[in-house]
Amino acid sequence: MAKDMEKLYAQRLKRYVTAMRNGKPDMIPIRLFVAEFTAKYAGYTCQEVTHDFEKAFAAARKCAADFDWDAVVGNMVYVWTGLTQAIGTKYYAAPGIDISPDIGFQYLEPPEEQAFMKPDEYDQLIEDPTGYLFNVWLPRISSDVAEMGQPTSFRNNLSFLKGGMAMLNYFNGFGKQAELLRTESGTVSAISGILKAPFDIIADKLRGYLGLMTDVMERPDKVLEACEALVPHLTHVALSGADPDKNVPIGFWMHRGCVPFFSHEHFNKYYWPTLKPIIEAIWAQGHQVLFYAEGDWNAHLNSFAELPDGAIVFHVDQADIFEAHKLIGHKFCISGGIPNFLLSYGTPEQVRQYCKKVIDGVAGDGGYIMDASAIVQNDAKVENIRAMTEFTREYGVY
Amino acid sequence: MAKQKKQKRKPGVCIPWEEKMKELPKITGDKELVKTVWENIDALGYVYIWQCLLSF
Repeated sequence: MAKDMEKLYAQRLKRYVTAMRNGKPDMIPIRLFVAEFTAKYAGYTCQEVTHDFEKAFAAARKCAADFDWDAVVGNMVYVWTGLTQAIGTKYYAAPGIDISPDIGFQYLEPPEEQAFMKPDEYDQLIEDPTGYLFNVWLPRISSDVAEMGQPTSFRNNLSFLKGGMAMLNYFNGFGKQAELLRTESGTVSAISGILKAPFDIIADKLRGYLGLMTDVMERPDKVLEACEALVPHLTHVALSGADPDKNVPIGFWMHRGCVPFFSHEHFNKYYWPTLKPIIEAIWAQGHQVLFYAEGDWNAHLNSFAELPDGAIVFHVDQADIFEAHKLIGHKFCISGGIPNFLLSYGTPEQVRQYCKKVIDGVAGDGGYIMDASAIVQNDAKVENIRAMTEFTREYGVY
Repeated sequence: MAKQKKQKRKPGVCIPWEEKMKELPKITGDKELVKTVWENIDALGYVYIWQCLLSF
């Protein structure tokens, strides 16, 4: 690696990590969660970056080389439809196949009566989560995997072989991508590892949101037991993918466990008591968790404030970033807060003004990372992303 | 959080070594090597299904 690139990488890593530890770096770090925007910028369709992960990697590297960002995700589009097709996954609409080539992939939640987990299967999940996923859940979410007790098939066997090899191939690609980001543009890979909350994952992939809504009323004890049963597994998966150097955080993707999707009572009964021990266990191992608080999670800031200082980075999407900073900014780094609609429909001057407002209100003492509110898709204007980047570099020097 | 019920499979494990070991003849060589390799490869199966759930 060229010496100047190594120096740039070291500067950016220090800046990014200092801010995440709620300290004051030399300047505000910029870490954009750019997904389909990378395709637009690099001249690819959404289909190309979703279906060909090498193109997705190349697009992310092109953005990293052309914009002065401190950190990016190797492939924020993340879902690779080559892999999901190998598995036979039913719940995605893939660009260029099910939807237009220029629209990002979509998750399709089945109707409540066709949920991938039935309401009377909680005990199976609780007793043996891994066995349940392999034996019951996977055959339901895959068009190829045969149900237990049913005749196997060529497609069934191939699903495991192709799925396993494809997943390994993809994950190995991330290691190479991180090295290329470092050597080609001095850019840090922003996160490592994955976490979802037990309550969220039951809604997302097992019972569905409506099914879980019903269950918290009709079988509340089973819901709590299932959340508790998932805790050790989700902790294990999160730690197994964590950064061995303990620099960058584990990405935690927050979905529909908050008010108003559920009540405060439900959050306090299910979501928080089964998430908090995971975060504490991860922090005890020296890893931070990045709370990607999609939507508005400000109703629960007091709960998050129970966590040890520095245990998390709190990313703000549609919530009031100034309120978040006021309530938890003394404990945790805050990121995000630049509205995506502004990046799509605003002017560069409006973007600069909004960035100034956020920096003035949130970043004065450090502990802030510039980013859009939500993942940046192909509706964002290139000139607005450039304005956001350049303004932060000019105005965000401490 | 209430004390959890004992689960059939621990995190990181699909088929425990103790279960697999019963199927094997008496190991005359390095038993620890066989155990380690079994567990490392078994863990890939665990990664597969949990990543299907969480990431894909």
